[in-house]
Amino acid sequence: MWAVATLTFFAIRLIPGDPAQAILGGPGSQASQEALDQVRRDYGLDQPLLVQYFAMLGRLLTGDLGDSYALKVPVAELLGAQIGGTLLLAVLSLALAWVLALALSLVSTGRGRIATAVGEGVELTAAALPQFWLAAVLIAIFSTGLGWLPPVATGTPSGLVLPVVTLAIPLAGFLAQVMRESLLDAMAQPFVISARARGESAVGVRLRHTIRHAALPGISLSGWALGWLLSGAVVVETIFAIPGLGRTLLQAVTLRDIPVVTGVVLLIALVYVVMTVLTDVASRIADPRLRQEAGR
Amino acid sequence: MRAAPVTATTTKRRAGIIAGAVALVTTITLAGCQAAEPEASGDPVEGGTLVYASGDAEPTCLDPHVGGNYPQALIAGQFLESLVSRDESGEIIPWLAESWEPADDQLAWEFTLREGIEFTDGTPLDAEAVKVNVEHLKDPATQSSTGYLAMGKVESVEVVSDRVARFVLSAPDSALLESLAQPWTAIQSPAGIARGMDANCQAPVGTGPFIVDEWVKQDHVSLVRNDDYASAPADAAHTGPAYLEGIEWRFVPDSSTRYAALQGGQVDVIDNPQPDTIAATEGDDAFTWIDAPRPGASNRIELNSGQAPFDDERVREAFIRAVAVNDGIDSLFFGTAERSYSPLSSVEPLAHSDETLFETDVDAANTLLDEAGWTERDSDGTRMKDGARLTLRFPVSTNQSIPAEQSLFEQVQATAKEAGFEVVISLLDLSSWYGALFAHEYEIVSAPYTKVGPDVLRILYHSDSITPAPSGYFANLAQLDDPEVDALLTGAASTSDPAERAALYEQAQQLILGGHYLLPLYDQQNSFLLSANLQGARAMPTVSTPSFSDAWLID
Amino acid sequence: MSELELRQTTIDAEVAHAPRRRARAARLPRAGTIVAGAFVLFLLAATIVPGLLETQDPNQISPGEAFESPSLAHWFGTDESGRDVYSRVVAGTGTSLLIGVTATFIGLALGLVLGVLAGFGGRVVDYGVNRLVEVLFAFPGLLLALLVIVVYGPGPVTATIAVGLSTAPGYARIIRGQFVAIRSSQYVEAARVLGHSRGRVIARHVLPNALIPIFVLATLGVGQAIVWAAALSYLGLGAQPPAAEWGAMLAAGRTYLSVAWWMTVFPGLMIVGTTISTTVLGRALARRGRGDA
Repeated sequence: MWAVATLTFFAIRLIPGDPAQAILGGPGSQASQEALDQVRRDYGLDQPLLVQYFAMLGRLLTGDLGDSYALKVPVAELLGAQIGGTLLLAVLSLALAWVLALALSLVSTGRGRIATAVGEGVELTAAALPQFWLAAVLIAIFSTGLGWLPPVATGTPSGLVLPVVTLAIPLAGFLAQVMRESLLDAMAQPFVISARARGESAVGVRLRHTIRHAALPGISLSGWALGWLLSGAVVVETIFAIPGLGRTLLQAVTLRDIPVVTGVVLLIALVYVVMTVLTDVASRIADPRLRQEAGR
Repeated sequence: MRAAPVTATTTKRRAGIIAGAVALVTTITLAGCQAAEPEASGDPVEGGTLVYASGDAEPTCLDPHVGGNYPQALIAGQFLESLVSRDESGEIIPWLAESWEPADDQLAWEFTLREGIEFTDGTPLDAEAVKVNVEHLKDPATQSSTGYLAMGKVESVEVVSDRVARFVLSAPDSALLESLAQPWTAIQSPAGIARGMDANCQAPVGTGPFIVDEWVKQDHVSLVRNDDYASAPADAAHTGPAYLEGIEWRFVPDSSTRYAALQGGQVDVIDNPQPDTIAATEGDDAFTWIDAPRPGASNRIELNSGQAPFDDERVREAFIRAVAVNDGIDSLFFGTAERSYSPLSSVEPLAHSDETLFETDVDAANTLLDEAGWTERDSDGTRMKDGARLTLRFPVSTNQSIPAEQSLFEQVQATAKEAGFEVVISLLDLSSWYGALFAHEYEIVSAPYTKVGPDVLRILYHSDSITPAPSGYFANLAQLDDPEVDALLTGAASTSDPAERAALYEQAQQLILGGHYLLPLYDQQNSFLLSANLQGARAMPTVSTPSFSDAWLID
Repeated sequence: MSELELRQTTIDAEVAHAPRRRARAARLPRAGTIVAGAFVLFLLAATIVPGLLETQDPNQISPGEAFESPSLAHWFGTDESGRDVYSRVVAGTGTSLLIGVTATFIGLALGLVLGVLAGFGGRVVDYGVNRLVEVLFAFPGLLLALLVIVVYGPGPVTATIAVGLSTAPGYARIIRGQFVAIRSSQYVEAARVLGHSRGRVIARHVLPNALIPIFVLATLGVGQAIVWAAALSYLGLGAQPPAAEWGAMLAAGRTYLSVAWWMTVFPGLMIVGTTISTTVLGRALARRGRGDA
């Protein structure tokens, strides 16, 4: 976390543009020299870079993310209001992507060449769809065409459907690719053959035994997937007008709102760390072999 | 020519899908000339909440005194009001002030306020409140830029009596009334201002038909009706409180999403509709289009005359002659925008147009460039002179130029190439774009500027505007430095004789256009698509922001 | 795990399934591979000699012919300025592939440096590089790209670098894993025992063995890099006009989705086609590499 904060701090200092300007009404403002000087003093921007850096670290240690330059409110408060929506969006999308990927790989694996080819084609196409385009197509079909779902997410459950689907489809494409391979692996295992020999149906075997194998890489990928979803949120939140971290980040980068950018990055890093821990635990639960290794 | 600043049209059903787009141009333009107000059908109905979807950036502060940009003006018009307004003919009309009178020497103006008006927090509207507002605008701590500039010649405000405020000026200001008609100089409750910037940004207090109830960042602002509203401007359709119970003001940045939401009935009004969607709703009874170009400057490409190659007037003229934009404007804007030949918006009565200066003539352009010494050509056809290529850097702000405009700039690039200009377009975010301008890294640029009245010419073309503000900002992007223009603009801003003012502005515009400093494109596009069950809405003839105090919803 | 590691898993799985698959491989003429190969050949031709495939100048505007649907004159229709979409798709191939290939190359090169350092630099360096990669991972890719663009200005070059940078940590992890595995393999042990220097061991034994899977990985990354660059174009920060680039065309056409579907569908198909065909070829290569080994 410290490293992330440091990297962000210095990376943003590289950005051309005067932070004092960002504080005084953003680009194109006609702030007076006095106002600029005043702001530089107030925010400590006239101090050497290292002093500013340690001041920031000191504040971070006390949990203070600073105030937004543009919105003049504490960053923690701002992000606290946004994180819930974005996380909900990400988790729902992840869940849907999971279901779609599992379904696709279960249906298309080991059913002959054509099913496999179709399955792979669908996966690759899904993974190659840019979200901004997918979103437009979904809106055109389900909002404008059929009138089933609202294009603007106003906080109602129906408003979340389209954004979640937009995020989930490309991700499902990725996940299904991995799951297919694990499934193939699992279906060649002796226990599957013995289960079949015991007279269990092919479908039963799939559902009871191999699904767990398909799920494993999916679980360990979830940490990465969440990071991917947060990147995707920048685009999806803009299109569906959802308040959230992605839009906040985009706006903050455009306005050179340094405390907000730092805050969002730290928050995402935190989510990533938590997620990594969680997926480790989840893989151990899903895979007995890992449990044993840990026990030894 | 548009006869009035605000025109709303419902035109015939489109025959073809897109093939007919160009033919359609004529239809819409003709209909636009009739300048009809939206036909209100039936009697006003009380109640209901209007949902408005705005594509403009979400303001960082709802108080338009702070900074002062157009997104702030859009929403502030719902809860703040100004001393005066402007009607469709461009005449200044009473609003919070019922009358005004300049002193003989033009150095003081007395405004008499309406009687019995209160801000929505109960504070009375009196001369003291006006004084506090002007001081708020002039205080550097407020960080005002638009309102601050507008009050440039106002030295102080004196309280003559409860209802009479005297503005004391440092020099005669023929633009004072126009400046005061803008939302950026609107009058707020002194008690509201006294709460400090943070609280006032969150929910400014005014006299308007609605009150800010709640602002959920990145989502919406809830506005509720002001039941005691009694200060409608002189041209309003009715006096007294609004019919609507409230407005839900949503921020929806993506234009396709906004339009889909309007089609699906999720919202009642959208702003910044894409030209193709406006064309798609033509003739559809379910929608009404309000076309309300912004006042002030037209949208134009400025030629940076401060450095090579455009320090040579022949090269400037060659560029203007080489570029063809008319066909592009017709097809890209689907007939919703009309070509302009003036530095001023067509809503400005004093706008001066000269079409003859802008006729495309590639041969003439080539001759001019040959004369100017740009005779060599390199392998890709770009002209050269003394080893330098005829390259024009063109920074384009993705925040300020809609896709159709960006496409038009690509067409400018393609047509200028035929005469040997190499136009290099850079699509930039707003901060980087200003950075490029401040560093003079541009030969051509397009920047909107909204202001009520022709005084915008002084801001854009007076040599004083070449000197950058401490922040680096300068408004004279053409770097036009002509003492004659300066004298005309200063004279026009100080005279009290309307005829002389008009004559001076006309001469100034002739010089500016004749010097080939700019390529006018069209009025600053600004329009609203309304669901047909919204009646009685209009765009204010001041800066074309929407007004819903006379509007009602039918089921 | 990243999207790249995921692909690595896929490749590993192919290697694992080798015996069973090889039986299938012998049986099948692999029509998919042939189609993919033909598509890639078309892409190469469009990159090297676009002039032969274009039906007209891709930047030739003709406002009077804007938004025409596909026809014999304009196979893929025309765009908002009356430009021929087919010719622009062809002209955009070079730029788009260049973005995809260069970005992948940058990511791969950085990943290689980091991976080699981590795999052979000893415990301390390994630890340091691992932490650095973890940190980079925690940055969402798009944010990294946004920062690079804001610092160095938008354009195809910065977009390429940005996308390359954001994929580097993924490559670094895989390459490190590869190297660690090879380092402890028997033939490397043998070379060590024979007294070969560390540098020689890396150059002669480790790199060649690590490179085949990495090359396969790279073919898979190209399509994704193009999609990422397209997202940057949507945010207005990608290729600069009038350059025809698939992502930029897609982003521009999205505005007119309801009136001119062809403006987005054809460049979109090219992106999807490129991703699929490079992936299919990559997998075929993986099988070949394995067969030869």
